[in-house]
Amino acid sequence: MLLAILVWLALLFVDLVRLFGILNEMDSGIAIEFTWILEILFFLMVYLFYSYSISKNAKNEFINLIWRAASTGIFAVGVSALIFLFYGSISESRLSQEPFLRNLFYHINFALTSVFLISSALLWKHLILYQRSKRVVKQWQAYEFAMLLAMFFIFFNQNTLDYSFLFGLVLLVGLGIVLSGNLKWIPYLTFKEKWKSLLFLSIILLSCTFLFVQMQGYTDQVIYPVNLTDNLFLISLFGFIFSYALFSFLVTLFNLPTSSVFEQKLTEAISFQRLSQSIKPEENEEQVLDILMDSCMSATYSDGAWVEMGRNDYPEGFLIEQFLDSETRKELSDLIEESKVAKEWISENRPENLSPLAIRLDHPKFESVLLVPLIINKVPIGRMVLCKEVKDGFNKEMMNIVSTFVSQACISVENHRLLNQAILNERYQEELKIAQRVQKALLPTTLDHNSAFDLCAYSNAADEVGGDYYDTYKLSEDRFVLIIGDVSGKGTSAAFHMSQMKGIFQSLIQLNLGPAEFFIKANAALGKCLERNHFITSSIFLIDTSNKTISHARAGHVPSLYYQSQSNKSDYLGIDGLGLGILRNIQYEKHVEQKTFTYHSGDVLVLFTDGIVEAKNQKSQQFGFERLRTLLEVYHELSPIEIQSKIIDSLHSFVGGDIKIDDDYSLVVAKFN
Amino acid sequence: MLTITNTSENGSHILALEGEVDASNSVMIDEAIQKLIGDGSKSIVVDGQKLEYISSAGLGVFMSYLEDFEEKNVDFKIFGLPEGVLEVFKILGLHQLMNIYPTKEAAFNS
Repeated sequence: MLLAILVWLALLFVDLVRLFGILNEMDSGIAIEFTWILEILFFLMVYLFYSYSISKNAKNEFINLIWRAASTGIFAVGVSALIFLFYGSISESRLSQEPFLRNLFYHINFALTSVFLISSALLWKHLILYQRSKRVVKQWQAYEFAMLLAMFFIFFNQNTLDYSFLFGLVLLVGLGIVLSGNLKWIPYLTFKEKWKSLLFLSIILLSCTFLFVQMQGYTDQVIYPVNLTDNLFLISLFGFIFSYALFSFLVTLFNLPTSSVFEQKLTEAISFQRLSQSIKPEENEEQVLDILMDSCMSATYSDGAWVEMGRNDYPEGFLIEQFLDSETRKELSDLIEESKVAKEWISENRPENLSPLAIRLDHPKFESVLLVPLIINKVPIGRMVLCKEVKDGFNKEMMNIVSTFVSQACISVENHRLLNQAILNERYQEELKIAQRVQKALLPTTLDHNSAFDLCAYSNAADEVGGDYYDTYKLSEDRFVLIIGDVSGKGTSAAFHMSQMKGIFQSLIQLNLGPAEFFIKANAALGKCLERNHFITSSIFLIDTSNKTISHARAGHVPSLYYQSQSNKSDYLGIDGLGLGILRNIQYEKHVEQKTFTYHSGDVLVLFTDGIVEAKNQKSQQFGFERLRTLLEVYHELSPIEIQSKIIDSLHSFVGGDIKIDDDYSLVVAKFN
Repeated sequence: MLTITNTSENGSHILALEGEVDASNSVMIDEAIQKLIGDGSKSIVVDGQKLEYISSAGLGVFMSYLEDFEEKNVDFKIFGLPEGVLEVFKILGLHQLMNIYPTKEAAFNS
């Protein structure tokens, strides 16, 4: 700015010197071109200053921009009016004829007019390029370039009014008018802002006219030796500022009546955005419904509304009312129930295809209502009713926007529910992991045995928790119990039954019962706590290492495998026995057997559950009893842990490495020394 | 996959099972039997010729109706079980409690 003032002072000085020269009929020795160069420099300085100052406040609102132009205009007009008044008051004195003073004021006027024009042009630039496209930017650049050329035009035509001047003027004003078509910022003004901008624009128009007329006034007087204002640049700038202000003024004026519609659309867009933001888990869907109702009411200019939700989602019922009391709502509900159109609407469409329905009602206050079903996942979850005091108050556009709002809100609610479900699932997973740890703890960590036999065990559950069970118990120094069990089914219910089974077995073992007696008692106890269609299979082995005998019983469990070292053969221990919990009365006694045999060194006993023999490969073949029996015959010489891992490895390679075995399976291997 | 076909012959209701019975579809059998008992059927025959596999949950369904059959005097029979499936019934001991026949003729002539 300082630079611009300096240039202006230099310009003033040079011109005054020239004037002095002319008055005294002397040649001041300063060419007229020097003035023009200074003038161009002045324009450029002002341009640079304003483009810097405007871009610094890039966040300027439109209305502020226009105000800036208007205020500069007022200032320029005010100053020149003061000068005019000043001359009016001293018109009689000699001072009024003083050419130096006149020229000084002329320069001041010139400077302020230029500042007003250039700053306005830059503000217009901001407005024109509000929604910039490549085409508009190109146009603007062309205009700026043409204006730059216009500044230098003065060198060619020596300040005379000839055809080239007119041609340039027409060209530049034409370009300015083309640019004036870019008025995309106007619709974004609110109603109030439009009024303000109308005022400011009229100020700009008036100042523009005043300054132009005043400038033309100067031209005709011979007293001014240097004509700064008959400049193509300034005149075409006048044209541009004026035409853009005029266009803006007219467009704003004609936009006034429709501005409320535009504002409405903008509100709708914002409502839509609010609805589509997914609800956070800790928030609830009632808030979405609230927003939905508010948005729909404002979109349809409704006088009242309510939302009611179905009993499935809200057992205690859910209702929000807006601008109507529950009595009116009841009256309206009853009227809707009775309405023929509404009945047909409900009966003719499937719930998921229902679209909003507008009906007339015979109600003293509300004469038309809009029924809007709320549908999630093709299931109606409730409805919204919008009421208006006028007849037929809902047009097609309103119904469309309401439909859009509703479907968006329903999606939000659905997303919210899914998210909650996912969180719940996550929690269940956590709980299952805990259950898994608890269940693992139900299986023995150390296996009771003495030096007469070695023992190892393994269990694997298909799901997080399973229904397989094995246990050992030390009755005395040389008497031990091995037990294996399997609850029907798998998963959580099996796991619960398994823990009941462990409790019952652990209590009964201590009674020192025979194997058959043990199962009779266990059946009686389990019969009372198992679900009707669940049962348990089990095998029990009592090992007496002093007598080298094993007595055992089987309750519906897969027969255990026994390798006899004397015959070098393995075989299943066939013995009759009914599963536990199948017959829940005294008759069970008839269905359980007990056998005792002597074991020898090198004999191997393998207890397992049906998950092993029933494991299937891709061809749907079962692992089967025979495969297991042969395995034991082959690997009987290995230690129990080695036999166990051979069996498990072979099971996995049979099923196929990648396939998960879809059942619980367990294995207990005992080898006698 | 399990398919249950419900037919009626000589006053007996025949439930033909085809495929595999596991924990997920054993409910189907449960519903079928429940309905026949509810309709007052006095003779229910299960055709197991095309039954490929039955899990413990499937056995649990049959087992759970043993007392109902006895109470309501329903004649319940199973026939045609393939060897592998029959073995499962035998291991659990259900063959002692149920009328299991090798063929349809054997089932109807008993």
